[in-house]
Amino acid sequence: MSAPFYWRDKIIRYRLVASKCKSCGTIHFPPKKICKKCRSKDMEEVELPRSGKLLTFSIVRYPPEEFVEYAPYAVGVVELENGVRVLAQITDADVEELRTGIEVEMVVRKIKDLGERDIIVYGYKFRPALKRSSSS
Amino acid sequence: MVHIIGYGCTPVKEHWDKGIRELAFEAALKALEKAGIDKVDALVVGNMSSGVLAGQEHLGALIADELGMSGISALKVEAACASGGAAVHSAYAMVKSGAYKRVLVVGVEKMTDKLTPQVTSALAMAEDQRFTVSPTGVSFVALNALLHRLYMERYGVKPEEVAAFAVNDHKHAVNSPHAQYRNEITVEQVMKSPMVADPIHLLESSPIGDGAAAVVLSSEPEGDSSVEIAASVAATDVFCLFSREDMLSLRATVLAAKKAYEQAKISPEDVDVLEVHDAFSILGAIALEDLGFAERGQGAKMAYEGETLIGGKLPTNTFGGLKARGHPVGATGVYQIVELCMQLSNEAGKNQVPDANVGLAQNVGGVGGTVVIHVLRGV
Repeated sequence: MSAPFYWRDKIIRYRLVASKCKSCGTIHFPPKKICKKCRSKDMEEVELPRSGKLLTFSIVRYPPEEFVEYAPYAVGVVELENGVRVLAQITDADVEELRTGIEVEMVVRKIKDLGERDIIVYGYKFRPALKRSSSS
Repeated sequence: MVHIIGYGCTPVKEHWDKGIRELAFEAALKALEKAGIDKVDALVVGNMSSGVLAGQEHLGALIADELGMSGISALKVEAACASGGAAVHSAYAMVKSGAYKRVLVVGVEKMTDKLTPQVTSALAMAEDQRFTVSPTGVSFVALNALLHRLYMERYGVKPEEVAAFAVNDHKHAVNSPHAQYRNEITVEQVMKSPMVADPIHLLESSPIGDGAAAVVLSSEPEGDSSVEIAASVAATDVFCLFSREDMLSLRATVLAAKKAYEQAKISPEDVDVLEVHDAFSILGAIALEDLGFAERGQGAKMAYEGETLIGGKLPTNTFGGLKARGHPVGATGVYQIVELCMQLSNEAGKNQVPDANVGLAQNVGGVGGTVVIHVLRGV
């Protein structure tokens, strides 16, 4: 993918931005322009909570082309404190020791380096929480 | 009513000596010969990724010309791994509407000219590049693995039970003339095979292979045709797997199945032979539940206890399914239809299900973004 592809989503990728329906309150990630609950088009941007629980995960041992040099790595579904789910790499953990249900928190990390003549892509990942989140 | 008057397929394998046009040509010719005709009014090609995997687009005109039919209406239909089913669905609508009398459908995929990481990237294009693949590096197998782990944990199902789908597929493939792998495997072998994306083992993942399958649809019963399409339905789901309300049910299957049962005026108990899209064994288990054949969390057990074997309550994937027949992605949905036609026409050889009259095929695109369901009836 080209640099503009990542550039267009920099806010979403660095700050974990979703869309919230002003009519029924449903929060959508990925952000949507039409609410899939009530079909309202009246949406606003909201930042998502940055901690949650690991619902399920896998370890990628045979990755797509652009990720070959990073394997093996863990990818999981995180259920955030408000119930919204995000798919992200799980970092700062021994992939063989991971288990579901652990508390995780968002960090911004390098996602991939596209090479000398291209860009370094940054974005959200999640790591096992360093301390208990305030809501739990 | 729309009738299937001809069908045929190539073996699924690593066809080093054949490119995309030779594969399509071979399957199409078999279907046309079976129908006893040499001309159709339109061609629909089901294919997922010829641009990336074979460096070739515009397959409609290409294959029409290869068949000596340049001049006819021809187009390609794409819905990821459901491209084959979607092509049959489109052709069905073309005949049913009265716009065309006879339509040839060819599902084709040439995968083995590329290396595994390139194929992995191509398959991952079935999912949302912007919000699923590019921010995480998730592979298509790993997405299915997310479901696999969740399924085992939620329902207390053992990995061996999920693996049964792959074992059963291989058992059926022994007598399947066009299957990619015609050897039996055991649950122990599956469990000892390497992890592709934990907890999915190599031996419960569909292989990479080349193949083509074709059917001829007609508005009239012609020749010695004996199969009609009783229902043809396509449905979609929320695109990103992780944002679906329940990740362990493919809503598109549930929606399409409900409509298909109504269209065909049948209930699940009436199905004699079943084809499900088990690209990974977990998808087979979930399909049995979404189609109404098993309670939630019981699909894997149903396979483990042998109920989906030939001779069991609901013979499923009787020519090897995606694991053993193989999964040339855009062709798979058409292979399923060809295999049901073989069963309903009493041409399934050693794998014949006695008195099979109603067959159902479920073809999945992505991890359920698209699902196409067909019900076929012998007449």
